[in-house]
Amino acid sequence: MIVGKQKSFEEIWDMVRGYKKVLVFGCNTCVAICHEGGSKEAEILGSLLRMKAKQANGDMEIDTGGIERQCEHEYLDQATEAVEGADVILSLACGAGVQFLGEKFPHKTVLPGLNTTFIGVVDAPGEFSERCQMCGDCILHLTGGICPITRCSKSLMNGPCGGSNNGSCEINPDVPCAWHMIHERLEAQGRGHLIDIFIPPKNWITSRAGGPRKQKREDLAT
Amino acid sequence: MQHLKTLLIEVDIDPDRLEMYNLSAAMGPKWAEICTEFTERIKKLGPSPIWWADRDRKTKE
Repeated sequence: MIVGKQKSFEEIWDMVRGYKKVLVFGCNTCVAICHEGGSKEAEILGSLLRMKAKQANGDMEIDTGGIERQCEHEYLDQATEAVEGADVILSLACGAGVQFLGEKFPHKTVLPGLNTTFIGVVDAPGEFSERCQMCGDCILHLTGGICPITRCSKSLMNGPCGGSNNGSCEINPDVPCAWHMIHERLEAQGRGHLIDIFIPPKNWITSRAGGPRKQKREDLAT
Repeated sequence: MQHLKTLLIEVDIDPDRLEMYNLSAAMGPKWAEICTEFTERIKKLGPSPIWWADRDRKTKE
């Protein structure tokens, strides 16, 4: 899922101050799971903004809401009434949601309420870590299901490097060495021979190096 | 609860103004005790910054 982190209240206040009607708008999929951008977080942020606005003697009306996903037309259609009634929308979606909301309602100012941090997993309640960098050419079948692009600090295609130390990465003892993990996982699975296969330099054309990416399923396209 | 208290500090509200207690419906005396203590705490803290802001606005009107 996409993980995000709410911007500091100070930064958010600086963005919205001066507007009369603010809609704090949550996205109830990825960023709700990490407790940063769902409807519940929108309500909490809305309450904080009301408290701040009152103390600042600002004449500000703050509404809150949310939809299942801000990255799909079908859901954004449901938001029309709430969006049209606001001067500015503070979106708590990921960067994709903020932009799509702005594309759907180009006459409205849409502000980002959180920073999109990474694609990751829920390690434990409240703890998240990165797993995928969306390189567009997955090699997990060769690496025991552990992504060296994401989890090796150097994104090495073959490893480990000389900085691997007792299973930790040289950048920080708390960061596990991805290639150490890959070795151990492949051995445990009886696929240790895969470690001898040389993985050639990656063609980054499928990643961001090839510019903004797009994909289309012809059978589903209208 | 700790997170909400941190957020309240962001808007200059004393986090002592917020507390959560877990009680069953059968704990009436404990409930009364908590209410008394919490009321005392709020009285000591005095009016909130929002109350002052409201009062200032009304005075200007």
